[in-house]
Amino acid sequence: MRETYGVVLPELNRAELTGKLIVIEGTDGVGRSTQINLLKPWLEQLGRAVLDTGLSRSELAGRGIKQAKEGHTLGPITLSLFYATDFADRLEKAIIPALRSGFVVLTDRYIYSLMARAIIRGLDPGWVRNLYGFALRPDAIFYLRIGVDDLIPRVVFSRGFDYWESGMDLYPSEDMYEAFRKYQAALLAQFDKLAEEDGFEVIDATPDVHAVFRRLQDGIFRVLSGEPRAPLFATEAHAAAGDKAKEKESKAAAHAPAKEAEQEASR
Amino acid sequence: MKRYGEHRFPGKLFVVEGIDGSGKSTQLMLLHQWLRAEGYGVVFSEWNSSPLVRDTTRRGKKKQMLIPSTFSLIHATDFADRMEHNIIPLLKAGAVVLCDRYIYTAFGRDVVRGMDPKWVRGLYNFAVKPTLAFYFRVPLEVAMKRILSGRAGVKYYEAGMDLGLSENSEESFHLFQARILEEYEKMIPEFDLTVVDATLPIEEQQEQMRQHVRAKLAQAKRLRVAP
Repeated sequence: MRETYGVVLPELNRAELTGKLIVIEGTDGVGRSTQINLLKPWLEQLGRAVLDTGLSRSELAGRGIKQAKEGHTLGPITLSLFYATDFADRLEKAIIPALRSGFVVLTDRYIYSLMARAIIRGLDPGWVRNLYGFALRPDAIFYLRIGVDDLIPRVVFSRGFDYWESGMDLYPSEDMYEAFRKYQAALLAQFDKLAEEDGFEVIDATPDVHAVFRRLQDGIFRVLSGEPRAPLFATEAHAAAGDKAKEKESKAAAHAPAKEAEQEASR
Repeated sequence: MKRYGEHRFPGKLFVVEGIDGSGKSTQLMLLHQWLRAEGYGVVFSEWNSSPLVRDTTRRGKKKQMLIPSTFSLIHATDFADRMEHNIIPLLKAGAVVLCDRYIYTAFGRDVVRGMDPKWVRGLYNFAVKPTLAFYFRVPLEVAMKRILSGRAGVKYYEAGMDLGLSENSEESFHLFQARILEEYEKMIPEFDLTVVDATLPIEEQQEQMRQHVRAKLAQAKRLRVAP
């Protein structure tokens, strides 16, 4: 049965949630939505119904959050709670019904981005954990990981620096470039911590879009076929070693019946 | 991030709690008048949260979009905004702050709506612990008589209609308030609430309240401003 992070929502029957919940996490500009746009049609071709969802898209609070961010008047606790309201609305009104209907839910970010942002703004990690205690544990969390140096050209040459993505509320005296570096470095450090605590599967996001897509396909395919997950922080080398081990296993498995047959015959 | 009980401010915070019809607002108004007359810098926290949080809460209620989790979280958002932008700065400035309802209201309603009691308490952990929290204890029947005679009708969420206890709003309100009353009883020892018997004459309740408040203000003479 699907687990939560400690608290169960009222009248939620977790046994009914037969779908798969797959999270794509990663910092701003790392290419999450590009990947989701590739993954959705691929999954649909495999015959899976897909719900794709993301942050601050709830009917209840989505609009309020956008306005709040334009005025930047909310304090850090208030803003965190506002995001949590939005998340709860999406969880209960979109994600849970889809899981109940057996969908694959692909979510562009989940509680981890929200937790990372709150924690680097000085909120108590224990308080933040409790806040999202009602969240469902996903089947897999793919973390698209990138260093600040690789991230900067992507952001500069696509959409430029954004007030919030640069953490200007945290570093108001810096210029956007300096603030962006500091803010994203703090976020990435927090993500690495969460990756360990919550068992993210880390995917190096520096190669080209298709290489990253193939890694995600492998991971998702594994989740859908119910295979156990790859080891935490699987690097390319590890993953390759894992593949080789798998090959050996499958060869061994393929040989086994043949051997038995031989033995049968010799008897 | 300071937790409940960890804040140290020069100001004082007095809150009133109780079900609708317990008379708590009347008592707070009388206390306000008295404190002002005594020359204290007293502020009645008006619950004016920022328009964007307020609009979301209102829209959610009007369109009946709220479910227990979002009902709880949007009210916590609203409360956090008042705490960060209103109550804490006032307490820092040394004011006597009065609040009609506080976190205990949320603990009662949200738990009755099925949210985990520990989770809700954790959610509001950022709140300043009041100097005194008065609980106006009243039997349900007395409170009902006071309310239903004076009001045109109860609103959807006020009556707990979202819980599906009854199709009839008056009956639903009755059942909902009875459950909240049970939650309040549990909170008296847990949060050291100061219980006032709300069936006593108004002036007697007020006298008790003033005695408690006087004892707390005796140590804080400098809160007094010139009349």
